[in-house]
Amino acid sequence: MIKAYASRAWGFLKSFQLTIVLLALLMCLVLFCTLAQVEMGTQGAVDAYMRSFIVWNQPLLLRLPFPGGALVGLLLTLNLLAKTIDIKLSWQKSGMWLVHAGLVVLFAGEFVAGMMQVDTNLSIEVGQTVNFVQSYKQMELAVIDVTDPTWDEVYSVPDTRLAKGGAVAIPGTPITLNVKKFYANAELSNQGPGAPPSLATAGIGAGVSVEERPVVSADNEINQTSAFVEPIAGGRSYGTWLVSVALGAPQSFTHEGRTYTLAMRLRRQYLPYAFTLKQFRHDVYPGTEIPKNFSSLVQVVNPSRNESREVLIYMNQPLRYEGKTFYQASFGKNDTLSILSVVENPGWLLPYVSCVLVSLGLLVHFAIVLRRSLKRRQDKKEG
Amino acid sequence: MPKPPIPLRRPSLTPANSAALLGAGLLLMGLGCSSDQVSHYRVPKESASAPAPMPAMPPKPMGERTGEPSDVPPPPKPKGSLKWSLPKGWSELPGGGMRFATFKTPYAGKLEATVVVLPGPAGGELANVNRWRGQIALPALDEAALAKARTTVTSKVGPVNVYDFTSEGQTKSRMVAGYVATPDGNTWFLKLTGDSDPVAKAKPDFMTILGSLHLD
Repeated sequence: MIKAYASRAWGFLKSFQLTIVLLALLMCLVLFCTLAQVEMGTQGAVDAYMRSFIVWNQPLLLRLPFPGGALVGLLLTLNLLAKTIDIKLSWQKSGMWLVHAGLVVLFAGEFVAGMMQVDTNLSIEVGQTVNFVQSYKQMELAVIDVTDPTWDEVYSVPDTRLAKGGAVAIPGTPITLNVKKFYANAELSNQGPGAPPSLATAGIGAGVSVEERPVVSADNEINQTSAFVEPIAGGRSYGTWLVSVALGAPQSFTHEGRTYTLAMRLRRQYLPYAFTLKQFRHDVYPGTEIPKNFSSLVQVVNPSRNESREVLIYMNQPLRYEGKTFYQASFGKNDTLSILSVVENPGWLLPYVSCVLVSLGLLVHFAIVLRRSLKRRQDKKEG
Repeated sequence: MPKPPIPLRRPSLTPANSAALLGAGLLLMGLGCSSDQVSHYRVPKESASAPAPMPAMPPKPMGERTGEPSDVPPPPKPKGSLKWSLPKGWSELPGGGMRFATFKTPYAGKLEATVVVLPGPAGGELANVNRWRGQIALPALDEAALAKARTTVTSKVGPVNVYDFTSEGQTKSRMVAGYVATPDGNTWFLKLTGDSDPVAKAKPDFMTILGSLHLD
């Protein structure tokens, strides 16, 4: 009985019908995801449609559940694996094996990218030196010990941790942050007469009203992430502070001779090396405003490798360095600001491996079929 | 005697193997989840090396940098509100969000004049001045350099500290900022920012505004 069910399941898993249905679902997802990008932005739409197992609560789909890209991709991979295993293991079928293996690697590459790829950016002005990349959307509350005249000790509390509320111990310091309220997005304004008192008892926030806003994900929007936090150190409370991306003014407190600043900002990842932008070029075709070239000449300084060299990053010619790829992405401030898109994808080689395998497989298969065909023709002649 | 060739065996994928594959996929998904851990970095002081760069997509309202329409009503006038007289051709637009007021200037070009009021010392003069310098990619100053960069304008509310900074690079940005604390404990920031040329043209008028400051 169980064997019969297993056999039927196996037959279903390796069926072409399943492949067709899954490919049709994938086409629908691509269409929905493209349409959704208008409202949700690229990353928001990709996360909602392509990198989820089930698409929930989307107005475009009348809020009905729909299989997400991760589920369809996983089933397609299993379907492909089942089909591959079903191919006869012989030299005659080696081309087909290679082609199918290449496709499996391609799917695996997309899973690795979906789960492990980190997209950040590096904004740098001419003459400036930058040693960190920052997220496009994710935030952090940076608690920075600025006491040392040379170094800053930066303790980063991710927004995802702040959202959970409660006490957050800052390791290596006597500080515990008590997160009293967290807003994924909010709008700040000066407090009016008769307004309810602010939760903040210290810093700028005491005179500021905070109103919660819906979270935004469009490419040109950013959440004004805010929180009320109470630093406690050595059993003493340093008051409740409002920290927000919308607040530019610095806020700090001193505990036992050490000064700590609080700043809500885009999440940073510090690098063991630094980039200095020496020149940014935005060339146009003569007599027109049509861009011909964007390029950033950067000096890469990496003390751990005793390295200091110039690199030119331009369109379609990224810099691959220490596991990250730096692409020329945008510019601003009258061509004095260069924005590099930074991608860290441990599986970046997999699509290339896949292309090689598929190409090789098709060549092998073609050679085998050609040989067989020629042999048949020869046999016919002789026969 | 040579060993016989090992027959090729077709592998089989059972339901159990399929489940294992699915499990492996889900495990990989788990590995991809971002961590909630507090991370620690020891980095060279930004003020000693470089100003913070602007984000690729700057937040809409950034403290005194707000300039876009807002559905939050204009800010209320704080006690002991600061007043000013506007030169000919200048007009005042209502503020919004954290911004107290915006000035419309008669000068063409990329230019903006804003007023922001924050309670208390708002982080202090040095930190705020260095933040402004960071916005136009200038390195931070220490207390001695700050005192050197400072000029003052006399007004009825007291001396107004004025800073005038111009960025480096091909297209120069310039910022003229007035910084004054009022007796109610608030700190006022009046800023004129934009491309160097239009800021230079508007600066005499802006200095007149700073000189005209008085309490309500």
